[in-house]
Amino acid sequence: MIKRLRRYNLSSANTAVLIFLWLFFIVFMLYPLAYVFSGAFFTAEGFSLIFFKLMMSSPNYTVILANSVNLGLAVTLFTTLLSLPLAFLLVRYDFPGKGLLNGLILIPMVLPPFVGAIGMRQLLARFGSINLLLLEMGVIDQPIDWLGGGFWGVVILEVLHLYPIMYLNLAAALANVDPSLEEAGKNMGASGFKLFRTVTFPLMLPGYFAGAIIVFIWAFTDLGTPLVFEYRELIAVQIFNMVTDLHQNPMGYAFVVAVIVLTLFFFYLSKRLIGGARYEMLGRGHVVSGVRPASALLTVLIYGVVFAVSALALIPHLGVLLTSVASRWFLSVVPSEFTLRFYQEVFTHDLTLLSIKNSLLLSSLSTIIDIVLGVTIAYFLARKRVPGRDVLDALAMLPLALPGLVIAFGYVAAFSATPLDARIDPVPLLVIAYAVRRLPYMVRAAYAGFQQSSVALEEAAMNLGASPLKALYQITFPLVLANLVAGAVLAFSFAMLEVSDSLILALKEQNYPITKAIYALLGRIADGPYIASAMGMLGLLLLAASLFIAGRFFGRRMGELFRA
Amino acid sequence: MISVKFDHVTKVLGQSRAADNLTLEIGPGELFFLLGPSGCGKTTALRLVAGFYLPDEGRIFLNERDQSRVAPHKRNTGMVFQNYALWPHMDVWNNVAYGLKMRRVSEGEKKKRVARALETVQMEAYATRLPNQLSGGQQQRIALARALVIEPDVILLDEPLSNLDAKLRLEMRAQIKEIHRKIARTMIYVTHDQAEALSMADRIAVMRHGQIVQVGTPRQLYTRPESIFVAEFIGGTNLIPGMLEAIDDLLMIKTQVGMIWATNGANGPARGDLVFCAVRPESVRLKRAARSGEVMPSEGINYLTGEVQSIMYLGDSEQYSLRLADGTLVHAVEYNPTTRKADVGDQVVLQIAAIDIVVLPREERGD
Repeated sequence: MIKRLRRYNLSSANTAVLIFLWLFFIVFMLYPLAYVFSGAFFTAEGFSLIFFKLMMSSPNYTVILANSVNLGLAVTLFTTLLSLPLAFLLVRYDFPGKGLLNGLILIPMVLPPFVGAIGMRQLLARFGSINLLLLEMGVIDQPIDWLGGGFWGVVILEVLHLYPIMYLNLAAALANVDPSLEEAGKNMGASGFKLFRTVTFPLMLPGYFAGAIIVFIWAFTDLGTPLVFEYRELIAVQIFNMVTDLHQNPMGYAFVVAVIVLTLFFFYLSKRLIGGARYEMLGRGHVVSGVRPASALLTVLIYGVVFAVSALALIPHLGVLLTSVASRWFLSVVPSEFTLRFYQEVFTHDLTLLSIKNSLLLSSLSTIIDIVLGVTIAYFLARKRVPGRDVLDALAMLPLALPGLVIAFGYVAAFSATPLDARIDPVPLLVIAYAVRRLPYMVRAAYAGFQQSSVALEEAAMNLGASPLKALYQITFPLVLANLVAGAVLAFSFAMLEVSDSLILALKEQNYPITKAIYALLGRIADGPYIASAMGMLGLLLLAASLFIAGRFFGRRMGELFRA
Repeated sequence: MISVKFDHVTKVLGQSRAADNLTLEIGPGELFFLLGPSGCGKTTALRLVAGFYLPDEGRIFLNERDQSRVAPHKRNTGMVFQNYALWPHMDVWNNVAYGLKMRRVSEGEKKKRVARALETVQMEAYATRLPNQLSGGQQQRIALARALVIEPDVILLDEPLSNLDAKLRLEMRAQIKEIHRKIARTMIYVTHDQAEALSMADRIAVMRHGQIVQVGTPRQLYTRPESIFVAEFIGGTNLIPGMLEAIDDLLMIKTQVGMIWATNGANGPARGDLVFCAVRPESVRLKRAARSGEVMPSEGINYLTGEVQSIMYLGDSEQYSLRLADGTLVHAVEYNPTTRKADVGDQVVLQIAAIDIVVLPREERGD
């Protein structure tokens, strides 16, 4: 045993850190999951499938399950249809202003969809702007039910929010296809759609599924958007409602287990569809560029398509913006009066001010944890032979596949009646939940940095007399700093706008983070929605700035962060 | 000057024994080469000296001091990495000065030594450049300067020329040899390029499967290989199979194409052993084309006949591929080929001097 461990070449300090990492994952990931599973399968009388029988036999529950899966699938399908032409046009053609359009496509990411939902509600409600406009113009004489009972409203918002993630992945996958492989296809007589179907698309599939699964899980388990639309027939909303009375009604455990199982199923399916294949592009030697200059006509077409999509995607943003500056907006196409009062109120209103302070504190702490854990894990993965390396890697990436909802629910349940009980003080669990959720981004960012800076650079320093720590600090650290900053910026801004964990874990008003405050404000009649919108706009600006900074660091490799 | 000694060193990496019971002594001031195909363990041996690997078994000595468990930064070795490993965030001057900073050399002394090291590699003018503003050859020189400046006990070079183009590689060979002469320090040089090793080395160790197959001067290895592996890895070799029939003043080998006499045999071959007669292509002399009806010479020793299969003209030489009566393919090289000796399809006579033949035991062929 000793001899086996010696093979790993770990110092005792290394070993201690590794043990700490394992403990962290066991306590804050595996234990809550195990707790949820035991809650779902064990009653006071022992093992039982009663909750699942109940779930399957109740038409009410099966409809809810089906709704959630349909939501995930619909959003994945529509984001694909929207993104594929965009990716194709922007990757394959060169035209003036390409960088600008690339940026434009990413803009919708900056708005958390549940904030967008506020704007959408204003525009698409029964007596919202669009119906009113159409009524005034005499196009219709009855208001149209745009939101289709809520489901399609959620789909539309999720699609408009998530298609940039799909686009990033598809564009990366397409750019990665060696043009000479397509040329070989042409040489064999394929062209146009046939070439795309037989060569290009199959080569894109691994990249596509990596992005598609993220989009699916995101939509499948999103909590904020349906809550704002008051569409309750979704599994996420049901779980949210069950958190508060977990002790009386253990159905919540069963629902969470159902979410996990379905998530894993689709995850497995997406990996199976790839067939385990990662195609190494053998693009050796002279690589021909597959990028062609676009003709003037095509350039106009590309601009048209991108502007149209972006305009569509920015509708919710516009709605939020209008709401935030409207002093009254009721039964009119656009607000009748404008004001900046609500922005002022964001910084004076007790709840909003407190929530901003809370979010800043929580996000800073969670980002620090992410940096420490992420850099350490990435370092072990990239530079050391550690026992159980693959498991460590999988654990660090698991939160990508694990909905925030599941983590938050598991925390509330597993740590109740412990010193970490969220009902007493949610701050520690909120910090840890934020940190765990965004850990994969940090690990990926740091790992990429370690990979780029060759280990030989550190060895060269040690060879010339630097101790291992000194080499790490003087050589590797400055080289990966950019990656760490970018990763940390993303982790921080996503934590600031984290929805499901905040809604579930922050149970007392004094601990509300920004997102929960927005949700609470929406429920207040008077000026609640207006202040909420103003706050949403501020969040939007924060996220926009962070993504801009991260984009500057990562450049074209930004897409690598949003894939599984 | 420092000697380096491997004493029964074994290092296991993953599933393979990257160094397998290595024992080797490198003399003070030698320019010593570790030569072998990729995966033979030569880089592992180098990294064991630098301390990046610690031996699983055995010991490593620098000047009789046991260094086996000393951390890399406490050994005074200067390594030149295959991809140079220049720090992209430091300019040339700081890259070179780094080792001196670690050694807390005084400011004035540091300036002097960095300048001298840059001068040695003829890169004085580039001190403020960043590594990515340099060409491959320039980066290579900086990497060398960085290793030289600390005046290491031993300089370790890991395939330093493999990323350079052919012309630059030839230039750098001469330069490194010249630097070695000037600084008079022990150098261990890893390469898979036999021409590099032959042209530069004081001595060479040929490695395979983590073991040392043969150690010797370039001339010894080329003219007196002790195994088929070495004979084939260093330079081209013809192998004619046969059986050792008699050992007298000369070795007499019975082959399917007649008797062959040779002066040298590796590893004391015994009568009745199955052997190969190893012959360098340039030692095969083409006698002349045999016209139909002409009588072939049958007098003298080591005359063989064969048919010309193909001819390749290379400017400075011409290579003939000949098929012997038993089917063995033999290559012959004629230098300064002003006229062609034979045409494809011709029957020719070839002759090999007994002194140019090495008789090798018939083990498994190279990989």
